[in-house]
Amino acid sequence: MSKESVLAHLWQQQGDPTRGGSVCAAGDCQSCLATIDGIAYTRMCRTPWRDGMHVEPHPHGDQLPALESRGNRAATIARTMHCDVVVIGQGSAGLAAAAEARALGRDVVTLDTGDGQDAIGIYPGPLVVARTDAGMWHLYPRIEIVVATGAAEIQPVVPGNDLRGLVTARAAESLSAAGIDLGRIVAVGTPPREVACTVAVGALVRFEASATDASRVGAVIARDDRGVEQRHVCDTVSLGLGLAPRDALLRMARGTNVHGVGDVLRAPDLPPCPTAGIVCACLGVTVDDLRSVHARGFHELELVKRATLAGTGPCQGAACVPHVRAFLAAQGAALQPPFTARPLTRQITLGEVAAGAHHVATPRTALDAEHRALGAQMERLGGWWRPWHYGDVDAEYHAVRTAVSLCDVSTLGKMQVSGPGAVALLEHLYPVPIVSLKPGRSRYVLLLDERGYVIDDGMVCRDGETRFTLTFTSGGSTFAELWIRDWAESLNADVRIMNQTTSLGAINVTGPRATKLLALAGVTTPPAFLHHDTLDVAGICCRVFRLSFTGEVSYELHHAAADSVVLWRRLMELGRDLGIRPHGLEALMKLRLEKGHVIVGQDTDFDSTPRRLNHEWAVRLEKPAFVGRHAVIRTNAIPLDRQLCGFEMDGIAPAEGATIWHRDAFAGYITSATWSPTMRRSVMLGWLHLSNGELPTIITIDGRPARRVATPFYDPEGARARA
Amino acid sequence: MHAPKPLTATRVAATCAALDSASWPAGAIVLRTAPDEAIVLVPTKDIEPGLIADPHAIVEIESSLCGIWLDADDAHDLLERECDWETPSARPAFAQGAVAGLPVKLWFEHDRVLFVVSAVFANDFMERCR
Repeated sequence: MSKESVLAHLWQQQGDPTRGGSVCAAGDCQSCLATIDGIAYTRMCRTPWRDGMHVEPHPHGDQLPALESRGNRAATIARTMHCDVVVIGQGSAGLAAAAEARALGRDVVTLDTGDGQDAIGIYPGPLVVARTDAGMWHLYPRIEIVVATGAAEIQPVVPGNDLRGLVTARAAESLSAAGIDLGRIVAVGTPPREVACTVAVGALVRFEASATDASRVGAVIARDDRGVEQRHVCDTVSLGLGLAPRDALLRMARGTNVHGVGDVLRAPDLPPCPTAGIVCACLGVTVDDLRSVHARGFHELELVKRATLAGTGPCQGAACVPHVRAFLAAQGAALQPPFTARPLTRQITLGEVAAGAHHVATPRTALDAEHRALGAQMERLGGWWRPWHYGDVDAEYHAVRTAVSLCDVSTLGKMQVSGPGAVALLEHLYPVPIVSLKPGRSRYVLLLDERGYVIDDGMVCRDGETRFTLTFTSGGSTFAELWIRDWAESLNADVRIMNQTTSLGAINVTGPRATKLLALAGVTTPPAFLHHDTLDVAGICCRVFRLSFTGEVSYELHHAAADSVVLWRRLMELGRDLGIRPHGLEALMKLRLEKGHVIVGQDTDFDSTPRRLNHEWAVRLEKPAFVGRHAVIRTNAIPLDRQLCGFEMDGIAPAEGATIWHRDAFAGYITSATWSPTMRRSVMLGWLHLSNGELPTIITIDGRPARRVATPFYDPEGARARA
Repeated sequence: MHAPKPLTATRVAATCAALDSASWPAGAIVLRTAPDEAIVLVPTKDIEPGLIADPHAIVEIESSLCGIWLDADDAHDLLERECDWETPSARPAFAQGAVAGLPVKLWFEHDRVLFVVSAVFANDFMERCR
């Protein structure tokens, strides 16, 4: 204990500031816990004193301290250090271990609790996490961890052990050395060194309160060798009851290269079986509580801990475990090892727990600032920040249906595959023919897993004989890359793969005036439907893909991400007289739903086969082999149980997830729903269960009548998209 | 910390052998991000045909990367705070992994370090490393 500790300072200034119970002054017990400068569960004995500190000792017994909000604190810094050896503890054994390691030329980091450096856990890695006054340290030793944390003094468990004025022998030494007058000291067990005291011979029986202060000890009763109780009047009792190794770090570090030195390896002294008194001062567990749970069948240390919570408080069992072990051993069981040790070994703040940690970042497209400048409400969608709307969803919708609109689709997965093995690889991955796809043409594709379930969808675009561009959903692109690389490796395919999802921006130009806008941007010969070409668009080199998700003429312009803002602004400028405005995801959801387009992950389930999705047209079983083919053939032989269907109803759209009923029986649920401004009714997709082998036509959704109808709801011939 | 600036770069996907034997433009920093992929900090026009002995190589403009050079001491301070894996001690050296919880590529020279981060995370990188 430092002379400058809060405990020593307050004791000198105003007398014993502790909450009651035996004081160890070594960080092992809970007696000197306090709220210091707003941080609860801080040990006064481990905290250096500073003028102006606000110290509020915790209440006595098992009452919780008041937790206060301190507003915004500065973030706690975490420092990562790599070294050869970490030595935890700087007593004589720790100093020697550090010196020995340094003599071998090793890079050593030492942790000294006296300097406010507390190791709070050892994790696989190995990683030692330490709380220091300068923030958290994350230490990665290359060679080993040496634990030299010594041993803790055993606390007394007898009636009256919650009184103030009880100190361990070491605490008596350090408090006396700090100049603190402890009054008349009676020592039980091993007496403190260089401290004047009277020794009470015999076994400790109980403590009695002072006649003048019921919270303080006034006498200690010990039973002498003849069995006679002797009463010793005192102001302070010094307790030298034995030692138990501070080996929690050692025990939690199993499997890592860690070893102990010094007292941490000593065999624990076993106190006598407690017969009365508080065993766990942190949580107020008494000997009677132990008896009670033992009588109910809790005979193992781990179970007693769970049943009583002894050992789960601030001292993490340092004070109570020796006594619980002694209690169980006295009931006839073999002496049981201490219970499992896990981080944290001491209390730290949530800020310290979070030090160095970051939440998962959400990527932003190159147009992010542009959207925000246009007043977009940005949302995390598909793993990206995306514009949900720009303030007027109806206007955005109608711009697409009647004029021209832009949508930032940079988030789509974009990948190039090149090489002599490209065709064979993609034939294996996709359930439609690839070899017949001509350069310059694109095809919608499903991505199936081995079980025949749909895991993503997108486009395959052939750029040359041996080169393809693939697109995926925004949320599925990372998995799709892993999927394709894994198959390429498994098949030993001679291909090169480049994921360009973040490298390329993509803007969808859509609406009946889209072609006119491209003409204004210099594109006189745009690609036909499901074709693509590399063209200069408003001065920017783009790969132009003609496809449609909105149901209108659409051109997806893929370009270097650095050009996104320029391209966006030029198109917005060129389209001013065409009624251009951007649309966000909310409008896009309406547009695509009117076309009945499925969104993988929203409309699909984990076991959605092409047949269940009503997408058998996207699977060519005549292909001799592709991932999922066998499973699709097998499941197609099973009677269909449910299918993704289109529905329409009058009035406002139900919530997504609304249940579908058929003749008072549950028949499915809605996956997507919207009010269609063009159709003037609500349109939906949802899973519908077959009834007597047929899909019901008249159903109830949200308590209202609805009809199953064919999709697309809008422009079923697709004439507008192909115009 | 200043905001990372856009980098001029070219991304190349090719066979390992072709990348191993490529004669990159003199002085170019080459970040070998994978056995079959490299990011070369030069304009794509400087990657001349034939430089990579792989007719199926994919060579594309990479305009989505941002970078910032920090002197060795500042880089050490930042990495001590925000990187929990051990960085190489050799110079020059390339490494990649999480820094401040974001995917970052690092190019170490004797007296400075280049931090390369995708533009999609540039704002987060700057905020977290401030």
